[in-house]
Amino acid sequence: MITIKHEGCIFCVGCSSVCPVNAIEAVGTRMKHYPERCIDCGLCAKVCPASVICLKKGVKPEPKTGD
Amino acid sequence: MKFDHDVIVIGGGPAGSSFARIAAAGGLDVLVIDKRKEIGIPVRCGEGLGRTEVVKEGLEIPKRCCSVEIEGSKVVAPNGKEIVWKNEKTRGWVLERKIFDKWLAELAVEKGAKVKTYTRAVGLLRDEKGNPNGVKLSHGGREAYDVTAPLVVSAEGMEALMAREMGFKTVHSLYDVDTCYQYEMKPYDHENLIELHFGAEIAPRGYVWIFPKCDRKANVGIGIGGNVVNGKKCDGVDGADPKKLLDGFIAKDKQLKDASTLIDFGGVISVGAPIDSFVKDSCMVIGTGAKQVDPIHGGGIAVAMECGVLAANAALEAHKSKDFSAKLLYENYEKPWRATAGKKMEKRLMLRKVMEKISDDDFNHCFNSLNSADIAEIMKGNFAPSVAKVLAGRPQMLGALKGLV
Repeated sequence: MITIKHEGCIFCVGCSSVCPVNAIEAVGTRMKHYPERCIDCGLCAKVCPASVICLKKGVKPEPKTGD
Repeated sequence: MKFDHDVIVIGGGPAGSSFARIAAAGGLDVLVIDKRKEIGIPVRCGEGLGRTEVVKEGLEIPKRCCSVEIEGSKVVAPNGKEIVWKNEKTRGWVLERKIFDKWLAELAVEKGAKVKTYTRAVGLLRDEKGNPNGVKLSHGGREAYDVTAPLVVSAEGMEALMAREMGFKTVHSLYDVDTCYQYEMKPYDHENLIELHFGAEIAPRGYVWIFPKCDRKANVGIGIGGNVVNGKKCDGVDGADPKKLLDGFIAKDKQLKDASTLIDFGGVISVGAPIDSFVKDSCMVIGTGAKQVDPIHGGGIAVAMECGVLAANAALEAHKSKDFSAKLLYENYEKPWRATAGKKMEKRLMLRKVMEKISDDDFNHCFNSLNSADIAEIMKGNFAPSVAKVLAGRPQMLGALKGLV
């Protein structure tokens, strides 16, 4: 799954522009990731000009209890 | 049905504000929403704008929006050879985008448009036929509320998430974007010229730019192909790392190596073809969201302003005839756009696709064969004379250049 190191993020929304499943969006003053939509394709991590999106291969988000 | 507004515009950048200015001046009740706290911030742009485009719009840009006036451009080949070209048509400005964008929004407000900041579209409303008839909005994350209009316009820029919900194919492929990192730096003594530095080692499938600004400042940035692999990123992901290359360029530049950085910014720029359709019943996409960006220099401000005006005229026509069909919007916005700006953009895309295939050595040969007048012709879309000159000295480049003739 992906994680965003917000500290280095320049809030350019490039990740969002290449995300095929609308799993990342600028909300307020930072990028918000929706893990339930994410397909772990890694395009956001490849394109990120600040290299602050990390993709750990094979690790899927824990299903939320009660969902 | 009674609507809250005549048209809702999502996004208050140059496209949305230009649309709103013309539509409101024509008598429409226009609501512009922008999810940012402040129009124009953050800046994600090199901030260059040509004079001819603005003159066409009949706008006089106030001095406070312009950092510096530029006279032309200097292009530097991989071997260091420079070509400078400047004439009436290459004049322009490096803007202060955050002031410029706000000024454009204020012009729209002065014409009667209503602008709301920190307001995000969280969903699209649809009528019984499935056509958009409003948006669900949230102000700073607070409880969502519905606002209706018979026409909804996406001017969302690179994200264009509501446009996707309308059914437009606004997702970008890595091949059709450039990923960019930029610093505002000082001191940098310049000649009021935009500088572009090419070379596979400097910037694979792209270039480094230096856009002069006032008070010995400059925007120093890099754009490289989104599909370039030049570095290991977080957790070892292979991908494009423009920042590493930019830092390398700066470290080798006599002036920049000791300069300070005043802003870190950047972005991902669309450098592909516009989306295949800009209109559907009751909705349109304008500007960068529709990928209406020059594929050579990644400039989108002028294109966005121009298409905003065209689309506003389409909206006025739609309201006059009470017809919000895709057909009418196409006739008045998309069709004239494709016949003018669209044609120019097709040629620029051809040029981009040729440029990305030629080696540094061939690039150097092109520069040795061409002069500033040739570059001016190329930028106008007249490729044949330059192709002939280049091929005269290196006929083996025919394969690479045949796309231009």
